[in-house]
Amino acid sequence: MDGGALTSAQDARDATARRPVAVTVLTILAVIASGASLILLAATAQDATRFSTLQSWLLVVNLLGVVVLIALIAHKLLALMRDWRQRVPGSRMKARAVLTFSGLALLPIMIVYTFSVNAINRGIDSWFDVNVGRGLEGALSLSRTALSLREREFAAHTKTIAGELRDRPDLGLVTDLDRLRRLADATELLVVGDHGHIIAASNDFSSASLPKPPSEDVLMEARTRGSYANLEPSPSGGLRVLTAAVISARVTGTSRVLVATYRVPEQMATLADAVQVAYEEYGVRGYERPYLKSSFTLTLTIVLLLSALGAVYGAFFWASRLVKPVQDLIAGTQAVGKGDLNLRLSLPSHDEMGLLFHSFNDMTKRLARARGDAERSRGAVEQERARLAVILARLSTGVISLEADFVLRTANPAASKILDVDLSTAVGRPLDALTDGAPLLEQFVTVCREHLSGGAAEWREQIRLKADTGRRELMVACTTLPASEGAQPGFIIVFDDITVQLRAQRDAAWGEVARRLAHEIKNPLTPIQLSAERMRRRLFELLPAKDAEILERGTHTIVQQVEAMKQMVNAFSEYARAPSMEVSSVDLNQIVTEVAELYRASSGPSGTSAAVKLTLDPELGQVEVDRNRIRQILNNLLTNACEALEGRSNGVVTVETHRSTFGEHPVLELVVTDNGTGFDPDIVSQVFDPYVTSKPKGTGLGLAIVKKIVDEHGGRIAADNVPEGGARIAILLPLDAGAREFLAASGRDGRKSDLRRERA
Amino acid sequence: MQGHRPRLMTYALRHPRRFVRCIALAALLCVTVLGTGGVVRADMPSLDEGGAFDVRSAYLEPADQVYHLNATLDLALAKSAEQALKDGVPVLIQLDVQVVRQRRVFSDERIASVTQRWRLQYHALSERYLVINLNTNQQASYASLPAAITALSDVHMLPILDESRIQKGSRYDAAAKVTVLVEGGLPNALRAMMFWIDWKHVTEWYTWTVAL
Repeated sequence: MDGGALTSAQDARDATARRPVAVTVLTILAVIASGASLILLAATAQDATRFSTLQSWLLVVNLLGVVVLIALIAHKLLALMRDWRQRVPGSRMKARAVLTFSGLALLPIMIVYTFSVNAINRGIDSWFDVNVGRGLEGALSLSRTALSLREREFAAHTKTIAGELRDRPDLGLVTDLDRLRRLADATELLVVGDHGHIIAASNDFSSASLPKPPSEDVLMEARTRGSYANLEPSPSGGLRVLTAAVISARVTGTSRVLVATYRVPEQMATLADAVQVAYEEYGVRGYERPYLKSSFTLTLTIVLLLSALGAVYGAFFWASRLVKPVQDLIAGTQAVGKGDLNLRLSLPSHDEMGLLFHSFNDMTKRLARARGDAERSRGAVEQERARLAVILARLSTGVISLEADFVLRTANPAASKILDVDLSTAVGRPLDALTDGAPLLEQFVTVCREHLSGGAAEWREQIRLKADTGRRELMVACTTLPASEGAQPGFIIVFDDITVQLRAQRDAAWGEVARRLAHEIKNPLTPIQLSAERMRRRLFELLPAKDAEILERGTHTIVQQVEAMKQMVNAFSEYARAPSMEVSSVDLNQIVTEVAELYRASSGPSGTSAAVKLTLDPELGQVEVDRNRIRQILNNLLTNACEALEGRSNGVVTVETHRSTFGEHPVLELVVTDNGTGFDPDIVSQVFDPYVTSKPKGTGLGLAIVKKIVDEHGGRIAADNVPEGGARIAILLPLDAGAREFLAASGRDGRKSDLRRERA
Repeated sequence: MQGHRPRLMTYALRHPRRFVRCIALAALLCVTVLGTGGVVRADMPSLDEGGAFDVRSAYLEPADQVYHLNATLDLALAKSAEQALKDGVPVLIQLDVQVVRQRRVFSDERIASVTQRWRLQYHALSERYLVINLNTNQQASYASLPAAITALSDVHMLPILDESRIQKGSRYDAAAKVTVLVEGGLPNALRAMMFWIDWKHVTEWYTWTVAL
């Protein structure tokens, strides 16, 4: 498994598996918070008295849940936005799913919220019914009325006591007060002087505190209006009535005030207090009404906010669950598109999506198998092709393949070598475009075109090409290549250079001819000559002069022709004789000098007057050759050169020796050049064949023998014309075994061009 | 302060995208909380309009080896607050007094800190306003709200500081402030969280230097 997409898909799964614990905990907290808040809200709705203790916890839990959910949703939203911007596959689908789910959830929540808020507000408003308030006010007024009757009674009592206390001496005042207090059932009686100080006091000791002087406004009202009576809450609880009356004193003229405090009867006080408390609580609740409505609205808002946020988070969660298999599938197809066929998707479920994943996995498995088969086939083909290329490269047979329009498709090195043009760089180009400067290829193409344009798809022919250094015999075979559908078939042309084989066959044939000639013809020549000479010797003096002259001329012709035939037969014999080399270490320059001296001293054996010029390499040294055969080579070449210069006054024959290299192997180079008319261009490539001559008297075997001797030495020979005029024969003789092998191999490969280049 | 960027700025420069996310999240939270508060406060009565509270004057007076505070307070309740009072909602009035000895080397020493609390409430049955001293639990009733406010405004001989704590030659700073609190109808547990529902007014500190 090395697929990049597989890795990415696996990473995604791992990332899901590695989801931070904090997020999971927060999610669980949010769910618990939502559930708990709903339960708590239901509890408070059922039992309103528990509201005060539960609502704070409710709010804490809800707010916590809201904050957690907002954080989670923000995290999810930012991740979704990032994916959207980065065009992550599946992000748009996920966004649409989130929007749809959220919309479907939020719409009913908003409707429920609106109705609930209205219901809560109206419900709370209904608590404060106008009739209830009016009733409470009525009860309060009733209580006041009832209590005001008591006030008036107590005020009358106080006035009566004040009348009794008029003009009483201060001594015994306290005793009188005690008595009167008990009579009037008052809790406290105070006599207050002009300056507001207490003159005498009496109480029932029910209150632990000391008597306190009444406030200024009580005294002032009492003095102004003569009496004072008012209900007020008692510091010790319950209700009391505070009354005051002026004590007129005729004797002293002072204006004392009697302040009396009465306890409201307990039953009445309890009832009145209940009314007071109810009224007060109603008032406080009225004041609290907006706060209460706000509290309920707040609670509802938070709970529904929690639900809405939970729904949005759930939308994210379910959208992720929904999109995840699609994202996996997209990643899988992308991986397959990039060539990773080893990807296997894990089945998300056993529903339709699972079936799709299963099909995908099956498809990738089949694709992988098919690709494996294809790769194996391709490998085999490649291997076969490489093997074929090696074989073609090693073949000495030229092989080229062509398109139908003669565009070169392939060519092996042997083809380039035989046609003397580099075809390896010409693949893709038509053969016609390569013929400039390549006469062999041009002739080859012409022959091929003739056949192919004539509709011959498969043919075989031996063709002869004319080259600078001679003829080239090729055996060419052509066949049609199988074509792909709709295309025209191409051709494959196989050709072999059979020049060397043909020459060898010819040489062998000529050798056989020469051997038979020597055997069949030479034997009767001597008896013929002897018979003719005897005939002349016996009959010359016996015959008359005229007949004797005829006899003389006839026998001379016979002897002369027999001699000529002997020479010819000897030459054939020499050509056909079995090779028996006597190799020794000789100084070639010396042999050249000796032979050249013969032609220079006597104007040549044939009586010519050509000058012989020697250019000898002093570094040549000793050479391993057959001395006599080298002499014969030199004799044949110099004879040919001198005969070619007959009749010329400025004839010059140049003999050169060089020590050089041929393919990095040491060779001896012997070149004989004359400035005569040169070889006939038509026969220049055949000058080494037997019985090919341009001379009227030649046997046609001189150069054939030279070539035979050179071949016996393992050397190479070439003939051509020099540009300035004249013929040139160049001979390469190997100087060691390596050079001999190399020359032999190059001769087999037909490297005439190499020889030509080397000589140049 | 070269080389010492605030931490927030450093964080913002290092992680600009993360910082923007945090700001966005914080803004979202603020909007949520404030939005919720806005819903709750929508129809709340305002207790501020027309109200005025202050410490008009104050001084310390020694008597019987105890320094007493005499002070005059401005306690003008808003109409809505008066109505709330009339409906039975109690109003808490708190007077905080502090005396601090000035020191040259060390930080100033607080030698007295007194909190006096009263509760003003309306008694519907008797149609009187009650002023209850929550420190002594003494109660006084008044026929009208102005009379009750007048009585509360005049702080007379409130014991603050024992003379034994005074060092001759030292300088002392005294300060007083008034807190007026109208408690809403929420339970105590809620009041701590929903602080914006309670109406509360705290005056500036009234300070004066005392030569004792």
